[in-house]
Amino acid sequence: MSRDESKLLYATTHEWVDVEGEGDQRVATIGVSSFAIEQLNDLVYMDLPEVGRSVSPGEEFGEVESVKAVSPLYSPVSGEVIEVHTELPDQLEKLNEDPYDFGWIVKVKLSGEEGIDQLLDHAAYQKQCAESQ
Amino acid sequence: MQSARLIQLAAGHAVENMSIDQALLEITGNTRVPTLRLYTWCEPTLSLGYFQKRGDRQTHQDSLSIDAVRRSTGGGAIVHHHELTYSLFLPIEPTSGSQRRLYSQVHKVIAAALKAFGVTAVPFRMLGQSTSDSPNDPFLCFQRRTDEDLIVSGYKILGSAQRKSRGAVLQHGSLLLRSSPWSPQLPGIGELTGHFIPVAEIADRVSKGIAKRMGWDWEPHPISTEERKHAERISESKFGSPQWYERR
Repeated sequence: MSRDESKLLYATTHEWVDVEGEGDQRVATIGVSSFAIEQLNDLVYMDLPEVGRSVSPGEEFGEVESVKAVSPLYSPVSGEVIEVHTELPDQLEKLNEDPYDFGWIVKVKLSGEEGIDQLLDHAAYQKQCAESQ
Repeated sequence: MQSARLIQLAAGHAVENMSIDQALLEITGNTRVPTLRLYTWCEPTLSLGYFQKRGDRQTHQDSLSIDAVRRSTGGGAIVHHHELTYSLFLPIEPTSGSQRRLYSQVHKVIAAALKAFGVTAVPFRMLGQSTSDSPNDPFLCFQRRTDEDLIVSGYKILGSAQRKSRGAVLQHGSLLLRSSPWSPQLPGIGELTGHFIPVAEIADRVSKGIAKRMGWDWEPHPISTEERKHAERISESKFGSPQWYERR
């Protein structure tokens, strides 16, 4: 089933977050918003973290290159990386078409609430994007 | 007029140059003061783009014998020899998107500076040809083409690349003044036009042009001892370490 972008949470740094599960089994799937992908334009490289790595909110977990600009990807949540979309760096052209399903980057098993309460809902994120245009 | 910091033309070694750029990127995120640094390289050096594979050096035999360093910015490899390198550091918001406009802003200034020496350079996008930006591009930056690259007589003479951090963006670029024996297939402005421009003169024009375009008032501030110490720490963990160079 396709992800509904209007139901996702968003970091101010343009990563989207889809939290599933309950209690101490909650997992956040993380990707980059369609707005950011459009802005970045023609991604050519992506670096991903290793499974097992711990991340915290605001920490860099990967990097992308587009039009000779290298930009960091920031973790919006805290926890452990349990899965990485290893096919993605070789098929970055698909990110433009499908940022919310094929475009997932990592899955993080949450270690707490840290970062979650800072995330924006879709309407607030859209507002931020409109203001930055 | 907003005051901004100018670090005047000086020569540096490869690891030193890259580490100072990284240190100033981090510092600009905190101080919020726009900064321009102009420099040359003490010895001919090959810099690899951040995502390039070091093994790809084998595809360019002419530069195999010179030292190499991995940049933090994207794009292709550059033989730094008879050139001017500029680094511009701008404070940005963490929420900000693409800084692509900065390429055209700075390149327009450099095209105008070259005009004063009788050299006409145009952005590649004005030539009506398709751009390339893919992992299959040529190894050397100056054999690739993107929209804002400056072109003289069909040859690229200026290319720039960026690195973003949370609070600032670094854009550095290389202006090819003369050909190098370590990249003989790349003519510089001198060979293409007969104008062999002294590096100090073009550096002066570029800094004045950037100040005017951005509405800045330069305050010359050399790199401080504290900033150099910060750059030395960065060189140990990144640009001077084998792990950094061999990461791909």
